[in-house]
Amino acid sequence: MKINTWFGVLEIGGTGEILESELFPKDIRELARRSLVMRENKQNLPPAGFDLKTAALECRFVSSSAEYYSLLHEVTLETVKMQVSGALTPDQRIIQAVEALDDINETTNSLSERLSEWYGGHFPESGLSGESLALFITKYGSRENLEPENPLYSKTVNSMGAKLEAADEILLKGFAESVCSLYERKRQIEAYIENSMESIAPNLNLIAGPMLGARLISISGSLEKLATFPSSTIQVIGASKALFKHLRSRAPSPKHGIIYSHPLINTAPWWVRGKIARALAAKLSLAARIDFYSGKIDPSLVEKLETKIRQIRASNPKPPQKKQESGIKPKKKRRK
Amino acid sequence: MSEVRKISDGIFEVIKDKKQLATRNLDPGKVVYGEKLIPVEGVEYRTWDPRRSKLGAMILKKFNISLKEDSKVLYLGAASGTTVSHVSDIVSEGAVYAVEFAPRSMRDLIGLASRRKNIYPILADAGKPDSYAHIVEPVDLIFQDVAQPNQAEIASRNASRFLKGDGYLLLSIKARSIDTVANPKEVFKEEVKKLEQAFEPKFEILNAKDLMPYHEDHLGVLAKLR
Repeated sequence: MKINTWFGVLEIGGTGEILESELFPKDIRELARRSLVMRENKQNLPPAGFDLKTAALECRFVSSSAEYYSLLHEVTLETVKMQVSGALTPDQRIIQAVEALDDINETTNSLSERLSEWYGGHFPESGLSGESLALFITKYGSRENLEPENPLYSKTVNSMGAKLEAADEILLKGFAESVCSLYERKRQIEAYIENSMESIAPNLNLIAGPMLGARLISISGSLEKLATFPSSTIQVIGASKALFKHLRSRAPSPKHGIIYSHPLINTAPWWVRGKIARALAAKLSLAARIDFYSGKIDPSLVEKLETKIRQIRASNPKPPQKKQESGIKPKKKRRK
Repeated sequence: MSEVRKISDGIFEVIKDKKQLATRNLDPGKVVYGEKLIPVEGVEYRTWDPRRSKLGAMILKKFNISLKEDSKVLYLGAASGTTVSHVSDIVSEGAVYAVEFAPRSMRDLIGLASRRKNIYPILADAGKPDSYAHIVEPVDLIFQDVAQPNQAEIASRNASRFLKGDGYLLLSIKARSIDTVANPKEVFKEEVKKLEQAFEPKFEILNAKDLMPYHEDHLGVLAKLR
């Protein structure tokens, strides 16, 4: 029978002896490439328990055990490097971007607070915060540098804050500059995500928007995984705490996870949110599948979603009425 | 002054301030994951944290893993290589075929394998041993630490291809990977039964113990082919 090995194709006889061998060239990259091809090919597998090393020695591919292992080491390493370098797909890059964005948001929040506290010792009446405060400090530094035409000038006149020493001014301005540059970076990343989502997952982009779409891909781990999830999973993705509580105890199931941030859900009245979440998740699931398997944009998805939402809203204009109790009814035992 | 006591081939107990499990560093001077390096009489040892490594925990729970310096090991679920590095220390004249599925973990494993000539990295799905049948030779030990629901089946498939007749299977079963909400004891009973009966080849269980206090809801299993 014919068998494939990492060092060649062998013809072995009934008792396992080697009849013929077609040895591969002893070039590491070549051997690695062939190894990759072989893993896909499920035919001509060596029989269970086949001793590859002994076979390699027998057909003179190598002249010693040491040479066998040394070569095998280099080939496996090279194979794996090839596989890893091909593994960074476009959706992985979006995932890194959206996670970096979340990190930047956290960081700018803490640093802005710190800036506000720090500068508040000098000019608490500024009324500025976040990026506007950072820009202000970068531009002016001490409040004394304001001109009378500046709208904030009046606040500086009788400020209760202390004088800003020169050394502190330099430090604060530098700190504020760093914060500004982070806000710039945040905008850059947001723009990158918006652009990339259009090409990586156009349907998801259309229905969920670039940010929510990117976050869905990030939580799932890849566009491929997102495409395999049933719509019920997409509905609750991001609500794992509530989901497991529901699975383990008698807590109610979560109606929505991260998709809550979609305007269709968070602007809807509370009594239709569950139904809308289900409908939205269904279309998101379809969108992800189209994006992964064909990448062609399908505008009809949005139309169908809007129609469905209109239907739901129309048939549920009022919140459900609490049933009137006629005497004490025994509580129905819930089957867990 | 530090003392060293041998537990079995390649596995030691180093006493410096306190007793610690350790292996001889195959790559002296290099730290792999934040473990301590302890020199004793010209030999450098690496401490082995049982709370980070299921295999380390199994050794402390008295699993007889019978590895020799020249043993061949198939390691399924190599991850970033923290435990693999200790196995590599132990089988200094042998081989560790390290199978891992995630490219991100493989990145770290590549760094490790570049420095240690007895580690052969394989990026593949442990559930499909046919995909690395053209690379791996028959082994003395299969160590499996994959968080998959079909662990028993994976063990059988790999053993049927690669485990020598007198070889051993060492498994770490994580109850939550099999069923997130079931009672761990039930899950363990099920999995052990599957190993003994459900697939070909069948296994004979030599030891099955939980890994407390080092790991919660984990069962360590030592088995051999029936």
